[in-house]
Amino acid sequence: MFPPPSTDADSSIRSTDSDAALAKLSAVQKQYLRDPYIQYFVPRSHLHAARPPLINIGTYVRTAAIDDLVNQWLSLSHDEGKQCQIVSLGAGSDTRYWRIAAGPQKDALSTYIEIDFPEITSKKAMAIRKNKQLGAVFGNPANVKVSGGGAALHASKYHLLPADLRLSPQETLGPLLAQVSEPLLSSSLPTLLLFECVLVYMSPTSSSSLLKWFLHYFSQSGDNGLLGTIVYEMFGLEDSFGRVMVDNLKARNISLPGAEPYPTVESLPTRFTSIGYTAARALTLRDIRLQYIDRAELNRISTLEFLDEVEELDLVLNHYAITWGLWHPKTQTKALWGMWGLKT
Amino acid sequence: MPSDLDSQIAQLSRCEPISEAQVKTLCIKAREILIEEGNVQVVDSPVTICGDIHGQFFDLMELFAVGGWCPETNYLFMGDFVDRGFYSVETFLLLLALKVRYPDRMTLIRGNHESRQITQVYGFYDECQRKYGSSNVWRWCCEVFDYLALGAIVDGRVFCVHGGLSPSLASIDQIRAIERKQEVPHEGPMCDLLWSDPDDTITGWGLSPRGAGFLFGADITKNFAHHNALDLIARAHQLAMEGYKLMFDRMIVTVWSAPNYCYRCGNVASILELDEHLGQEYKVFSHAPMDVRSIPTKRPPPEYFL
Repeated sequence: MFPPPSTDADSSIRSTDSDAALAKLSAVQKQYLRDPYIQYFVPRSHLHAARPPLINIGTYVRTAAIDDLVNQWLSLSHDEGKQCQIVSLGAGSDTRYWRIAAGPQKDALSTYIEIDFPEITSKKAMAIRKNKQLGAVFGNPANVKVSGGGAALHASKYHLLPADLRLSPQETLGPLLAQVSEPLLSSSLPTLLLFECVLVYMSPTSSSSLLKWFLHYFSQSGDNGLLGTIVYEMFGLEDSFGRVMVDNLKARNISLPGAEPYPTVESLPTRFTSIGYTAARALTLRDIRLQYIDRAELNRISTLEFLDEVEELDLVLNHYAITWGLWHPKTQTKALWGMWGLKT
Repeated sequence: MPSDLDSQIAQLSRCEPISEAQVKTLCIKAREILIEEGNVQVVDSPVTICGDIHGQFFDLMELFAVGGWCPETNYLFMGDFVDRGFYSVETFLLLLALKVRYPDRMTLIRGNHESRQITQVYGFYDECQRKYGSSNVWRWCCEVFDYLALGAIVDGRVFCVHGGLSPSLASIDQIRAIERKQEVPHEGPMCDLLWSDPDDTITGWGLSPRGAGFLFGADITKNFAHHNALDLIARAHQLAMEGYKLMFDRMIVTVWSAPNYCYRCGNVASILELDEHLGQEYKVFSHAPMDVRSIPTKRPPPEYFL
């Protein structure tokens, strides 16, 4: 169920994708979430034991909140009469593209790009090609093209690309996304970046230059594009819970250099505001669960399993946050996009 | 038999499980003792009161190092011996063996985890299966759980219970009238005693986020204490980062005895020593060193969102 401790730090980071996928699968099997696609990305999915209720609840809260922000982005784009782009960085086994493509907002999407380590994109490309249900959203199989020795996959709106996000974005993302002739990434559309437990594994310098590269791509183009970014990860690791987390993950050869600049929830939005984003906000999963999740939904999930320990849940959820930042050009009316965010 | 039992206690103290046949005999003897106990077991001071242990065997050894060994120290454990930790089998069987060996120096009351339903979710069932290859040990232990007292009262002045109070129970005598020898029900007075929590943000009763039991405010607590002539209500059930938490003008205390709970929470633990005048001393302790013994080699690592 758990990978053996590895001496290879990169493979340890890659192993965190299996954790996330298994947690998602468990939350789906226990009916916290609906996601018909995750099973196809988890090998021998029927053999995995469910995760504990605390993990299922946290997975639910994280997914519900990020879904909400993404769905708002799609409908705000629609309201503005534009299609939008989504770039999921360190996407791993995420199923979001399939859920959008099969959902009511699919027409609001112009392009969906997923980027991860080649070891992960190769596996994902293989799963997509082998599985009818995953392939079905692309229509004619002839529309699906594999490249990069099996590590990249292209369909009409969907692109799966291999890259090491820790390297210089000018050298990695530039050639991938911004080729002069026909760039994958348009600088004139509302574009949402997703980082779910990704930046925390990188140095603050690398993650900052990654964010700056995207900001620069939109702000320097003069094309009236618009950039939103969602970061979900742990923070506040300087207290006793955080120190134990750092030690426990060290035993799995995982380190969290990206959490260092963020001891408090108040410090999280500075990730965006310090590099020129227009606005940013952060909420802990604890607060999201208590105040931002629909009451009826909370009641529904509270009946799924006995949660024996509320203090522990609060303690754990208090060390994870969703931070979202928005950049828009001065000419843009703030009224519409200023509404983007989690609401009580 | 005491020599057999003594050698089992010695074996369990090294965190080595006893045989399935020995477990069966131990559980039968334990039941014979527990069946004689009241729903609210009467205990004399001085006594050392402990909260949740949750299978953290090596941390229980730290507890004994701080509080003294049984029978030299008179112990009262307020339930949640099993689940979550890696050594629920050894932890519960050691406490049970001490109970059988020194029935008047070891009081065990029932926690919400001493239940068939909860142990199938939170680890004890799986651990029994893993360590004995069948569910027999789990089944016998669950039968013992059904006989555990629901509470205890020290010198008639300190009421001890795993969770808290119940809107259906105004007096300790009403607790004595409960038919306790059953699986923990989903609702009702017996369920409430094992599941409820004090809450300083409400008055009266509130709905519990745990889905069982109730929340109760300072007014409820003070009324119950006054009505039953109590100095203190001691309970466990909730993680306290500092090891214990006094509330409602020191009328109720949460005692938490599982340091670094789930090998993840980073908290300290405590025990409450009541002297012969019921004076309170809280002894705080930390978790056992995380060496090769305290965490099994094939352990699943503590879970995080990654």
